[in-house]
Amino acid sequence: MKIDTQKNSHMYWNPYFGGFLLGIIILFTFYMTGRGLGASGAMKSGVVALVDTVTPSHAEKNAYYSKFISEDDSPLNTWLVFEAIGVLIGAFLSGGLSGRIGWRTQHSPKITRKRRLVFALGGGILFGLGAQIARGCTSGAALSGMAVLSTGGFITMFAIFGTGFLVAYFFRKNWI
Amino acid sequence: MGPLIPNGVIPYEWNSIIAILIGIAFGFVLEASGFSSSRKLAGVFYGYDFAVLKVFFTAALVSLIGILYMDYLGYVDISQLYVHPTYLWGAIIGGAIMGVGFVAGGFCPGTSLCAVAIGKIDAIIYVIGIMIGIFIFSELYFIFQPIYDGSFLGNITLMDSFGVNRYWFVFIFTIIAIVVFVIADIIRKKQKKIFY
Amino acid sequence: MVNRKLAKVLKFRYTILAAILVLLAAGLVLLPKYEKHEGINPEELLSNVISPERYITSDELAHKIINQDPSFLLIDVRDEENFKKYSLPNAINIPLKNLLKEDFEGYINQSQFDVVFLSNDNLYADQAWVLCNRLGYKNLHVLKGGINNWFNTIINPAKPNENMASIDFQLYSNRKAASMFFGVAYPEQVKKKPVVVKKVTPRKVVPIKKKKKLPVEGGC
Repeated sequence: MKIDTQKNSHMYWNPYFGGFLLGIIILFTFYMTGRGLGASGAMKSGVVALVDTVTPSHAEKNAYYSKFISEDDSPLNTWLVFEAIGVLIGAFLSGGLSGRIGWRTQHSPKITRKRRLVFALGGGILFGLGAQIARGCTSGAALSGMAVLSTGGFITMFAIFGTGFLVAYFFRKNWI
Repeated sequence: MGPLIPNGVIPYEWNSIIAILIGIAFGFVLEASGFSSSRKLAGVFYGYDFAVLKVFFTAALVSLIGILYMDYLGYVDISQLYVHPTYLWGAIIGGAIMGVGFVAGGFCPGTSLCAVAIGKIDAIIYVIGIMIGIFIFSELYFIFQPIYDGSFLGNITLMDSFGVNRYWFVFIFTIIAIVVFVIADIIRKKQKKIFY
Repeated sequence: MVNRKLAKVLKFRYTILAAILVLLAAGLVLLPKYEKHEGINPEELLSNVISPERYITSDELAHKIINQDPSFLLIDVRDEENFKKYSLPNAINIPLKNLLKEDFEGYINQSQFDVVFLSNDNLYADQAWVLCNRLGYKNLHVLKGGINNWFNTIINPAKPNENMASIDFQLYSNRKAASMFFGVAYPEQVKKKPVVVKKVTPRKVVPIKKKKKLPVEGGC
């Protein structure tokens, strides 16, 4: 049977099925490693490694970078970095199987490509900042935190989605 | 008795390999559920697509119930699991900033990585944005430190904070989640369809 | 026909899934709760208690010491005062009251050596043994009869009577030889040659730092 990739490319899994599998993955992760998933931690390691290579002395002086730098180990040698590499591979596999791979910018027809990219950059900066203040993003703090009933995880989850709904009105042109 | 790696059942050297395998599964499921599409993700805030809500809550429920059953049957020791620490104001302020970032950018870090893998240019810009955000935070750490380290309540769970029985909590949480799913479907039917 | 039935079931698929989820969650509430035991369970402890490997006799121990068997570790659980007065060579003093202190965990909770507890008689050594068993430590033994029995058998063995079996004579001569090793001088031997008290090279026991449970760290 030939899969019509053009038609198929926006056919996603049933969200409940995806959620079920994701739950099993979180369960398995906790069973194996005792910790949850994460994503922004890998990017933090990336930033730390970058700063450490460009200006090692500055990285050592900074109170935040120096937490993640050790003498004998690269800041990239962390669990989350390996996990993030896995995420890239896994998403590439899934996208490849459904024919979703290709250079493109996704945006609402009502806005220009440039506007989309500017907002993506701004949103990214905010998310990066917020993820550091809250010590975790949606996957690390909210999702993995909720799995073990962490109070902080629930608060982060409510804060993210609550604020999201509050400010959604101001960004509506970008999406609908 | 789990967790396997901290208890030395599986040698520590396997940690990185398992990390990659778990990452592959994580990325595959996120991508296949449509989380590489920012418009699908943003749909939850405008009521035209509740995939985020459904995936998120189903995953939380399955993992919660699963962990409690595994703890009950003795496969995993719940007290050894990493509990995300609670820094009250850090979580609220950070979460609020992330909420704005989520609506503006349409991704969260995990989903943006998925979208990068399939070549979304907006996701690549978004990841660069996250890294700039982290860079700003680190450079201005002395400003953020009071929030970052303040109001630390320990690695507490909801049982510690509110004294609820965890089993009852999960039961009620399940019912709430199912009600939310039903409401979400009703809202989505009222919204006009958006093709993306 | 089958398809229609299937379609009928599928119409309710979300309801069914929701029901399963609720049932599973309700199961957690309804399951009988029980207190979890820390350490090993009572059955296992009992089987350890009645195991013949629990005790080591003074003869076996003497044999091991003389042969410089490197596989065991003597733990003297009496208080410091008694320990200073007399103890076995290379014994390590961990008074019973300090048994659970973290500094000593490295000695007792390891898999490198067989641990032999000893006290004046069995009593305190046995208690230490039970405590450590409860914590799930492995390779634990108790010196049967303790130091007192050690004196009676090894240091000052009773001379067998004429009408006793030859095996007792054998035992006596072994014990006598052992006691000489531990520095007891017998008059008839002193005449012939001075007793060479072998210096037992003190064994360095480096308590292996048990791999601390790896800190489970998170952080997104």
